[in-house]
Amino acid sequence: MNQVSHQSVPLIQVEKLCKQFTVRKHHLGTLAFMRNLFSLQVRVIKAVDDVSFSIQPGEIVGYIGPNGAGKSTTIKILTGLLVPSGGDVRVDGYLPWRDRIAYVRRIGVVFGQRTTLWWDLPVIESFELLRHVYSIPNTRFQQNLAEFRRILELDEFLDTPVRSLSLGQRMRADLCAALLHEPKLLFLDEPTIGLDVVAKERIRQFILHINKQRQVTVLLTTHDLSDVEKLCERVMILDQGRLLFDGDINHLILRFGGQRRLVVDFVENYPLIQVEGAHVLSRNGFQVTFQFDRQSVTASELIGRLSLQYRIGDLQVLEPDIEETVRNIYEQGLLYDHE
Amino acid sequence: MLRSLSLYWRLVGVQIRAQLQYRTNFWFDVITAGMMTIISFGSLALIIQRFGSIAGWSLAELAFLYGMVEAAFGVMDMLFSGFDPGTFGRQVRLGLLDQLMLRPVDVVLQIFSSDLALRRLGRITQGAFVFILAIYWLDISWTLPKVLYLPLVFFSMVCFFGGLFVIGSAVTFWTVDSIEVMNIFTYGGAEMMSYPMNIYSNWMRRVFTYIIPAIFLNYYPALFFLDKPDPFGMPSVVYWLSPVVGFCTLWLGLSFFSFGLRNYQSTGT
Amino acid sequence: MRLFFELAWRAFQRQMAYRSAAFAGLMTNFFFSLLRVAVMVALYQGRIEVAGVDLRQATTYTGLVQAVIGFLSIFGWYDLMNNVYSGAIAADLLKPMSLYKFWLAQDAGRAIAQLLLRGIPLMAAYALFVGVIVPTNAIQWLAFMVSLVMAWLVSFSFRFLLNLTSFWSPNSLGISRFGYMLVWFLSGFMFPLRFFPGWFVTFCQLTPFPSMVNTVNEAFLGMVDGPALLKSLAVQGLWLGMLILLGQWVLQKGIRRLVVLGG
Repeated sequence: MNQVSHQSVPLIQVEKLCKQFTVRKHHLGTLAFMRNLFSLQVRVIKAVDDVSFSIQPGEIVGYIGPNGAGKSTTIKILTGLLVPSGGDVRVDGYLPWRDRIAYVRRIGVVFGQRTTLWWDLPVIESFELLRHVYSIPNTRFQQNLAEFRRILELDEFLDTPVRSLSLGQRMRADLCAALLHEPKLLFLDEPTIGLDVVAKERIRQFILHINKQRQVTVLLTTHDLSDVEKLCERVMILDQGRLLFDGDINHLILRFGGQRRLVVDFVENYPLIQVEGAHVLSRNGFQVTFQFDRQSVTASELIGRLSLQYRIGDLQVLEPDIEETVRNIYEQGLLYDHE
Repeated sequence: MLRSLSLYWRLVGVQIRAQLQYRTNFWFDVITAGMMTIISFGSLALIIQRFGSIAGWSLAELAFLYGMVEAAFGVMDMLFSGFDPGTFGRQVRLGLLDQLMLRPVDVVLQIFSSDLALRRLGRITQGAFVFILAIYWLDISWTLPKVLYLPLVFFSMVCFFGGLFVIGSAVTFWTVDSIEVMNIFTYGGAEMMSYPMNIYSNWMRRVFTYIIPAIFLNYYPALFFLDKPDPFGMPSVVYWLSPVVGFCTLWLGLSFFSFGLRNYQSTGT
Repeated sequence: MRLFFELAWRAFQRQMAYRSAAFAGLMTNFFFSLLRVAVMVALYQGRIEVAGVDLRQATTYTGLVQAVIGFLSIFGWYDLMNNVYSGAIAADLLKPMSLYKFWLAQDAGRAIAQLLLRGIPLMAAYALFVGVIVPTNAIQWLAFMVSLVMAWLVSFSFRFLLNLTSFWSPNSLGISRFGYMLVWFLSGFMFPLRFFPGWFVTFCQLTPFPSMVNTVNEAFLGMVDGPALLKSLAVQGLWLGMLILLGQWVLQKGIRRLVVLGG
């Protein structure tokens, strides 16, 4: 799936990374402003706590965790936006925050929540500006642009100002913009958030494509486990600033993503519903939710067994969400896992 | 350096085109934005006949001071619009700074080129108009040093006000919302410099000589241009301090801003 | 009537919440006042009185001008126009109150808050650092307060009209700015109108603007009394009436237009 190079020098090397924020707690109530002048309660938040990992060129790595886990903070440090409180970070030989201008030239970044393009400009003009900002030779620029236009189907809105784009269109434009200068490393922060299934698929295909064709290393943070499943062989899980898991994704799912759910809308209101391999979690009229273990039965087997006995109208397979998986991991007391 | 300049032009060009899109609004803004200059000066011109002069400065001489300040402030306001503390404070608050830091271009340059408020042209042209009127009325004996020094003084004032703007923006790294006292320095400073320094009480004048040396920016040069005597008996070197004050303020502002930016990187507000 | 007070009270509370911003504004006002006083003193250059105004009155005048900036929204008021452009005007029009009264109530709250936060403190600072003269007898005080309320009403009615242009034009901001400039120029905001040449003063009196600033300041300073005072109050009232009528007429037309466009 991924093109992993077997060089020994990692592209990203993170060692004992720490980042803490001091938050001043303001006093409230009467004479608060006086008390604030003299004493401020200080609270130290450890956003990133002793995190270490390394990423080889060519990998696509998922970086997941619940909200507030410290993902954005890590990404900001890796992209040079933030200076760490402790630890060592080397990306492609650079210290991101110190060698900012030289370093940033070599990476691409896409934020799901914000665009990197100029708000009022037509997309193509934003691209043109970026060509000058990154000093991309024109021939290379045109070639890359042509390829991305084709794959991401940008032509329909190339002349539209960025502010008028739909979320899916904007993400595609942002992706193109992030790769025009041929970076070796791409940071994606929630790239599929808010998108419909078709749009998500398109983005994922594109990411796989550039990884395969151009050996672009990808670090992807997301809330969507399917993103991770479809794209990454390796996943890192962060919670409360600590790295809880770093390893093969199949391993992760097998060990912790145990309980799946099957929601079935039956055609009739069967009084008793039983099936081997799963137990009934809840019933709601014609709808029944089953819970089953991934390791003991596959979804298709289960569906097969059910359809032999009952008439099924509609069904849905629900994966355990990331919060559940992480909670499982945390409850198991697992802090760090070597491959 | 050249690349920075060409990038600046390209990015600014984007802004200019965006502003010109709203054509009627734009022209309206240009006219109304500058009217305060004319109204202010016009009012003074209308009432001065009852008073003759202000502290020994005729209307034409006042126009000289006033026009230069207005035009310089307008130019600064236009070039440094990206650094307008109110605008910048908002950018910091919304985290738009991250977008700039992810591009391989100097952040300060990007902020400079992020806005060029063409509507300031109103204040600039009206200030220039008053100034030219002054030159026409007055009978200045133009020597070569005067001719060479005049644009330098103008430029120094632009740098001075610009430096104040940059300082005001840098402060928002810590306070997030721009502090009002900066407005007193910038807009208040401009207003204060529009009149001859000898109308202000001693303590006020000392503040503007030793704390914020605005007195050297246009008052002393004006004495030089208009061949007026120095009522305070300062050493003759002060006539040439205008560029020093201007550039130092700008340099101070930019240094402070860089410091603020580095601090922003550590605290990630 | 109760709705009026409630709206005004809520607007008052909203303004009072921006205390720190008001304080900052007060600082700026005070600084500019000091500059204006310096200019005035320099203008007088030892003269006892000019055009019937003595130095004390002139310097107090500059203070009064700065004090009413917040009270009268001299530098512009765009709330109604913003509501029109954002579409929130629909909610306003559904209220059981004429649009004029609706906004008048809110402006009342705002104005009183500004008076308390900026206007009065500024005059107090003036009294401390510059020295002011104040009305000498009860009648003068009364006349001043009546004039102040009138000035506010006239100012609001004018601002209301300016904002109404948004019902027709997307350039209401620019139009309004032009209107506010007229206020600065013709109301006695820059200097007491008495300093200006006769033809200019005559021209100003053809507009409602002196009724916003100059008239109320002169009432405070006791520069007019007896019949002249009554006359200036009457003039204020006259302009107020005209502006209200004009406002109502324009409002009706505007609402009809808005409804027709369904916007």
